[in-house]
Amino acid sequence: MNPSALPPVTHRPTRRLWLWALLLTPLLLLVALGAGVASCFHLGSDARALRNGLMKSSSAEWRHKITLNANYFTLGAVRAGLSCVKLDPGARAALQSVQSAGVGVYQLPSGTPQPDRATMLDAADSAMTGCGWERVVGVMDGKDLVAIYVPGKNVSVHSLKCCVMVFNGKEMVLVSARGNPEPLVTCALKQPGFRDQARWLAQR
Amino acid sequence: MIRYPLAAAVLAAGVGFNVLAGPLPGQVDFGKFTPPGDGGQFVEVQVNSNLLSLAAQVVEKQQPDAAKLLRSVQLVHVNVVGLTDGNRAELEKRVRQIRHDLDAQGWDHNVSVQEKDGQDVGIYTKTRGGEALAGLAITVIQPREQVVLINIVGDIRPEQVAALGDKLDIKPLKDVGAALKKAAPKAPDSKETVPEN
Repeated sequence: MNPSALPPVTHRPTRRLWLWALLLTPLLLLVALGAGVASCFHLGSDARALRNGLMKSSSAEWRHKITLNANYFTLGAVRAGLSCVKLDPGARAALQSVQSAGVGVYQLPSGTPQPDRATMLDAADSAMTGCGWERVVGVMDGKDLVAIYVPGKNVSVHSLKCCVMVFNGKEMVLVSARGNPEPLVTCALKQPGFRDQARWLAQR
Repeated sequence: MIRYPLAAAVLAAGVGFNVLAGPLPGQVDFGKFTPPGDGGQFVEVQVNSNLLSLAAQVVEKQQPDAAKLLRSVQLVHVNVVGLTDGNRAELEKRVRQIRHDLDAQGWDHNVSVQEKDGQDVGIYTKTRGGEALAGLAITVIQPREQVVLINIVGDIRPEQVAALGDKLDIKPLKDVGAALKKAAPKAPDSKETVPEN
């Protein structure tokens, strides 16, 4: 058999793959960048569930003021950027502690009747319990309402999640954060006035 | 057909234990409170062992005594409800019922204070073994202001509380430790040590 009769070996499919990869990579990067930027203006799913539950229970038209969300990569970039800058130890510890954070601010239009805080707290509890969270603190005083939630299970010191809701009668602020509180607590315990503050707190 | 009988058995046992798991030995069910209307004060704090153990991990390096104390606590529950004309009678009656139930359940009524201004404080403890407390319940009625209910559950060693108070030089903590030491009965074989002068 004559070997020259065999069809010539071509690399066309491999070349095509490379071409597609070259064409798609920038497109995928662009989509990822777009999704990353969009995520900076959206709350996480748990905080969204809390917000929706609260808004539904209050039967009012809330005005959205601002939503900001900094994920692990954004905060990592900030940490890296500020690593060479001389910062207050407390600020640096806070920066090291927070892994991701989101905040949403909503306002009740003027003239809207005041929603019932007890109903709001109940709705917040239902929404968060459904997502596997449990309320650690609930405070109602005058027009103020504060609730703090943490996950019911899988709580880890290296990645503690918490969700805080504050309503002052006009504005509602939702904060969700994930982080490692250790650097912040270590910094607080090293503060010279910590013992006095602890004594003051204990006396309270 | 069950492919993993051992895993299924472990899972079933876990579910079973969860279903059977009742309240902790020193836990008090204060019931659910309705926030008062007219913007009255309402505070509810419930910190369970997950968070307490996490807090212990956080302070472990800096404050090992505090970490040890935190690890010994399983639950902290605080209720503060503001008194209004609408809820005063009901809440005062409810707190008295809670005290009655604690007495009936064999809790030790260690402190009872009734001040001239009407403030009424009751401190109850439930012992574990002979040297530790399984639970501490504090009920306070401040007639014109609020009702306060506190329940701390765990394996609370009075000497730990006192030692932490001494170390941090926090007088209220020292006082609580001393009060708990008095409240906790001594084990039959334990001997009180008298410092030598």
